[in-house]
Amino acid sequence: MTEPSAGPGADDRSLDLAEGISVEPLTQWRLFRTRFVRHRLAMVSVVVLGIIVGAVLFADALPLANPVRGLSDSTGRLVNLLSPRRAYWFGTDDLGRDLFSRVIYGGRTSLTVAGLTGLMVAVFGTVVGAVAGYYGGWIDTVLMRFTDLILSLPLLPVAIVAAASLREIFQGHEAIALAVLLGTLLWGSLARIVRAEFLSLREKEFVESARASGARDRRIIFRHILPNALSPIIVNTTLVIGSAIILEAALSFLGFGVRPPTPAWGQMAADGGRVAVTGSGAWWFVVFPSAALIVTVLAVNFLGDGLRDALDPTQTIERR
Amino acid sequence: MFQYVIRRLVYGVITLIALSVITFWLMNSTKGDALDRLKSNPRITQEVIQQQTEFYGLDKSKPQQYLTWAKNFVQVWNYPDAWGRSFQGTQKVQQLVYERFGGTLRLMTTALLMAVLIGIPLGIYQALKQYSFFDQTMTFASFVTYSTPIFVLAIGLQIILALYLEKWTGVKFFYTSGMNSVHYADFSFWGRIGDTVQHLFLPSISIALISIAGYSRFQRASMLDVMHSDYLRTAKAKGLSRRTVIVKHALRNALIPIVTLVSLDIAALLGGAVITETIFAWPGMGRLYITAIGANDWPEVLAVVMIIGVMVVVMNLIADLSYGWLDPRVRYD
Repeated sequence: MTEPSAGPGADDRSLDLAEGISVEPLTQWRLFRTRFVRHRLAMVSVVVLGIIVGAVLFADALPLANPVRGLSDSTGRLVNLLSPRRAYWFGTDDLGRDLFSRVIYGGRTSLTVAGLTGLMVAVFGTVVGAVAGYYGGWIDTVLMRFTDLILSLPLLPVAIVAAASLREIFQGHEAIALAVLLGTLLWGSLARIVRAEFLSLREKEFVESARASGARDRRIIFRHILPNALSPIIVNTTLVIGSAIILEAALSFLGFGVRPPTPAWGQMAADGGRVAVTGSGAWWFVVFPSAALIVTVLAVNFLGDGLRDALDPTQTIERR
Repeated sequence: MFQYVIRRLVYGVITLIALSVITFWLMNSTKGDALDRLKSNPRITQEVIQQQTEFYGLDKSKPQQYLTWAKNFVQVWNYPDAWGRSFQGTQKVQQLVYERFGGTLRLMTTALLMAVLIGIPLGIYQALKQYSFFDQTMTFASFVTYSTPIFVLAIGLQIILALYLEKWTGVKFFYTSGMNSVHYADFSFWGRIGDTVQHLFLPSISIALISIAGYSRFQRASMLDVMHSDYLRTAKAKGLSRRTVIVKHALRNALIPIVTLVSLDIAALLGGAVITETIFAWPGMGRLYITAIGANDWPEVLAVVMIIGVMVVVMNLIADLSYGWLDPRVRYD
């Protein structure tokens, strides 16, 4: 995608030179960048996601309170349910823990699960879709039946029952167990998309010429077809990451996520909700974890939207 | 066509078998078992445990247990005990699910009606006023709603529309738990209806909101698609009134694709109901499901998951058939 010698950029230059006008060649990357930057909300999302991911990655280096231990004031009293103030930006929870720190460390859980899920989905969905679409025949039939089977399972009920038993089996590694679970349940739609791309691309002349020059299947799949199918893979994986964050949050909300006291946004929102509906007035306990969830998912979805607009110029760009 | 339906039904049955095997395996893969509470109680004698183990057939091997369950499960119309007994107490699972099914059905129908009656007109109106302030605002709002987990919506509505609204006005508008008040039986006819609505509104709107966002976005796009089509330009060029063009030519065609989306969405709504029922203490299948998982009660879990699975399979089939039924260009092979 970044090679200036390939793609329409090279043709543009020869055309321009023929007319005697010198213009910088537009590479695919630059075309993508201009279109992406034009999507304002996607640009904002990149910044927001950058801040969130940065905070989560470097949480240990930041001057944060211990996210799993209750804090006490100078008289030794537990500082539970303090409203937001200078010392505690997001206030404290019912056990006197600093919510700002917990929201950031909770993000570590949510983003680890979502990121690993995205990776699994991208690899598994791409490989299954590529093999099915490229080889066709009985391989295609078997793989697509399997994909359909996964896709027709009721997502949330299966995720709940699986999470409930996996967290018993993988004690202490719940985040990885959740990622494996969500990855297993979510790769289906990407596999279908990749298969459709491969079905149409394998008939193209450049594939035929690669085959004629003696390239083996693996080379054709990975070097010739896959780069051309990259756009839908990137866009779809981004959107899957968005739904993985929501699903992880739902599971930890129901108590089937990471084990407390390790924080996760869904679990914090559940605790905060329980405290808030009693009429205690402690709005911050439920608002900040929920806001973190909404902002992150929204940013991921806008990013996916922007990527789709930028990577697929045939789609009409809708301004927001 | 007939062949297609038969083939799809066969796949559906395979899916359901896979679903039951996966669920059974997951429920039995943990160390704990449903009789743990009995076993840890020192006042329960070994004999009782032995008797219970035999009563539930837990002395047999796992595959045998599954096959027994499956053989009985499909004979639901033959005898009332077909779905086994609950591990929590000894009620018939069939009876338990039957009692809870009505609750879920009430919630789902209301949510679906709300979503269709609000989401679709909203999308149409947005398309007619494309790029207006209202359109832009609603597009953004539906994007935000779509990115919000359902439990955040539910808790937010609980806190704002139940807790704070009551605090500020002094009047109780909505209830946050249960399906009816305790004194429901003593109410007058209108009192009962009011009580039902007060209980039903918050849980169903929390389920509906995400669908409203989805439907309106989809309907807006499909309406815009039609508005830019050639036959609509022709209709306008013939000099038909704007009203006729929109109602007779545009709407009829723009409403076709949403049918498929709605039938596919019912499966997702059922998933959402699991969470919403838990939050609003709604006596439905979803809450039964969560408590049963917590109690390692696999006959109940399997019963609920199979009902949801059947609904998903049927709805997927209806969605695919509605394609061809509404659009004669689609062929099945």
